[in-house]
Amino acid sequence: MTTSLLKVILLGDGGVGKSSIMNRYVTNKFDAHLFHTIGVEFLNKDLEVDGHQVTLQIWDTAGQERFRSLRTPFYRGSDCCLLTFSVDDSQSFLNLGNWKKEFIYYADVKEPEKFPFVVLGNKVDVTERQVSSEEAQQWCQENGDYPYYETSAKDATNVAVAFEEAVRRVLAMDERTDHLIPTDTVKLHRKPRSAATCCS
Amino acid sequence: MHDKLMAELMPPDSGRCNYFFLYDGSKVTGEGDPTREGICYFYPEETPLDRQELLCSQFAGVGRCVSELSSSPVRTLRLRHNKFAIRMKDDFLWALGCSVEVPTVSVCELLDQLINLFCFYNGSVRQSYQLNSQETLAARWARYLSYLQSGSSEMCHIFSCLKTIDSTNVDPLLLLKAALILQACQRCPLVLAGCILFRGRVVSTQMSPELTMKVMVHESETYTKGQRINGPSTSSSFDGAVSSTTVFLTMSELQYLQAAPVDKDFSSHSTPSKNAPPKKTRLSRTLSDTPSTESEPSYPSSSQSPQKASLSPHLSESDTSVSSPTPSQSTADSLNPSPQWLRPPLSNGKHSHEAEEEALDQSYYHSFHNNGDGGSQIHSEGDSSVFGENSHLNGDAACGTVFDFRGTDSENERSHEDKMVAGDSRGCCGTDQGPKAEMKDPSHLPSVFDNLEESPFIGMTLYMHRVKGLVLALLVEPHFLSDAASMEEVYHSSLASLNGLEAHLRTISPGAPGAPGPYMFAHFDCIQSTLTTNLSGRPGGAPEHPFVRATSLLHSHFCNTETLQEAIIRSASAAVYGTRSVAQETYFQQHGGSLRNSGIPNHQDSAFSLPSKARHRLLKHGVNLL
Repeated sequence: MTTSLLKVILLGDGGVGKSSIMNRYVTNKFDAHLFHTIGVEFLNKDLEVDGHQVTLQIWDTAGQERFRSLRTPFYRGSDCCLLTFSVDDSQSFLNLGNWKKEFIYYADVKEPEKFPFVVLGNKVDVTERQVSSEEAQQWCQENGDYPYYETSAKDATNVAVAFEEAVRRVLAMDERTDHLIPTDTVKLHRKPRSAATCCS
Repeated sequence: MHDKLMAELMPPDSGRCNYFFLYDGSKVTGEGDPTREGICYFYPEETPLDRQELLCSQFAGVGRCVSELSSSPVRTLRLRHNKFAIRMKDDFLWALGCSVEVPTVSVCELLDQLINLFCFYNGSVRQSYQLNSQETLAARWARYLSYLQSGSSEMCHIFSCLKTIDSTNVDPLLLLKAALILQACQRCPLVLAGCILFRGRVVSTQMSPELTMKVMVHESETYTKGQRINGPSTSSSFDGAVSSTTVFLTMSELQYLQAAPVDKDFSSHSTPSKNAPPKKTRLSRTLSDTPSTESEPSYPSSSQSPQKASLSPHLSESDTSVSSPTPSQSTADSLNPSPQWLRPPLSNGKHSHEAEEEALDQSYYHSFHNNGDGGSQIHSEGDSSVFGENSHLNGDAACGTVFDFRGTDSENERSHEDKMVAGDSRGCCGTDQGPKAEMKDPSHLPSVFDNLEESPFIGMTLYMHRVKGLVLALLVEPHFLSDAASMEEVYHSSLASLNGLEAHLRTISPGAPGAPGPYMFAHFDCIQSTLTTNLSGRPGGAPEHPFVRATSLLHSHFCNTETLQEAIIRSASAAVYGTRSVAQETYFQQHGGSLRNSGIPNHQDSAFSLPSKARHRLLKHGVNLL
């Protein structure tokens, strides 16, 4: 069976835990002393989702504004975007819309309304929340019915589930496009054939 | 016969080594002993044996004669159009000949570099020749010589400078990223220091320029090996991404590495060295601990560009939550050499050494013969076929999931490592002391070679993790390789960042070579051993040749005359200005404008305006002569 490579990208404000989510998922480790990410980083992970062998290439990005020019060139070619905020930081939640806009612009997404986004509310292990689950779910519904997961990189809550959902979304998209392309191809091939029958 | 030989000593390419040999006088003691017995290595290898013998015997004779007459060792000899740097130790004699145009200091430096390189990878010379065949070591001399001369400009040879990435095209933040990767690796107490290289050029280093240069040779070698399909020594549990080899440090090199302030408090696991009594906490080099003062550069040994140092205060002022060291934790002590460094030679047995040697020979041979054009492959722009320039996402870039150090995999790795390293079983080569020759370098430059004379070598391990064109090279304590937890920590903590840095550096387009300005300059940073210049660097740049030659002359003068600070050197048509301080040397030539030169001192002479022009023009290149 062929393994397909899927590029997913983690976007969100600085400090919401994007690098920690990636590290938790790939190496199953949590380091409270991580440096701020500069530019972009990535790790690969092989997994099987619904019988599909997939290599997930997870791109972690720098959240700070001053790293914008370094990260944006790497948005292109993404198959899925994980918009990340921290449930103990309402500003990071309010910025989700800006991250979505930045992604659509620099990734040059042709049909933004169909692009698979997944929203992650990280740091649910923290007791003092600033963003409620309902608020987040409401934003997801209003912005394109994105799946929403409350994660914790620290205690591994929902991290794997969220990435698997991302893969499912991409595979579902691919099936739809796979379904479309053959119909076009068939039409092109039929024409000369039908012309030949016409002449003979 | 003599004249015929001398006629052929004409320089084929100035700045390049024409001759190099190592002669072992202990093999030729009796009247009847043939000279050829003493020739350990001779370059060019195709030189007829009788000519090799002629040169070796003459140099050995002259060297001994002059040494005894003057009671001081011979450092240089001149033979027609060649200038030879000479080194003698115990019964060994090394000679390296370049064209007379090359500054003496550069020839001496090249020879010292070559000998130091050999010792870095093989330990003591005497012991190497006892343990290995002459052919094996000949291939290594050839390889080191070829590396030192490959792919760099004449200007690079004059200053013996490090090849660095062109930092004018690289976002300083990426240099910071590289420095942070190295720092993160140092959280593991078994990691002494490291450097990051991209396509054979330095991105960031924590080591001295001399040590960095030595490490780079192995990098170029693993790169060549990696090009082969399924080479026997690259199959391992790391997908061939990680390799290691034994190296030998001098005492002073080790002390230099250990003098650098490193915060080891982050170390999350126990290591054998943790039993040592805790030392006082050293300064951390993490961002958050960096004081926002200009007077205290945060990366004393790793900064490649001035911009980077000035960036860290900017980062730290708002990013205080990066990390905080916990001084209460006991600090692992790596200052004292662990006992296993000093274990007696050959303590680990000599299992299947010869078979390993054979495999190694082949790879060395291969590497060397690929290296001739390898240099140009590595450094030419737009070399898409070689490095897979396409930004298409390669799934094989680095996959963290197949990585497992435990169980059988770590066994595999150990045997893999054994295969990679000849003489790996030697821990230390401190036995070869012999009488200490007092050697003074005529150039005032402190030579690592001098230190080498007095010190035993300490066995260390060079660990390399390659991500396509990017390499993380770390000097680690030998038991790092058997410490699965440490290896895993270093590997996993750096993998994502290395992947990212590689992606960043790969996508940087080489800046258009600037139009040849109305001036030429070369700026040498003596501390970091880096060169900044606006010369094209192409061989045979005719208009550049007078400038290069003048620079070479001035550099020579600066080296020989410690008090000389400024000089102008001129011909009928051109004038080159040179100035130096303890930390830098700068050379400048202004094009155009007729030189008003009447032969007597004249204040209207345009040559006298060179210093102010240089100060003005070079500011935009980041060179401050004020």
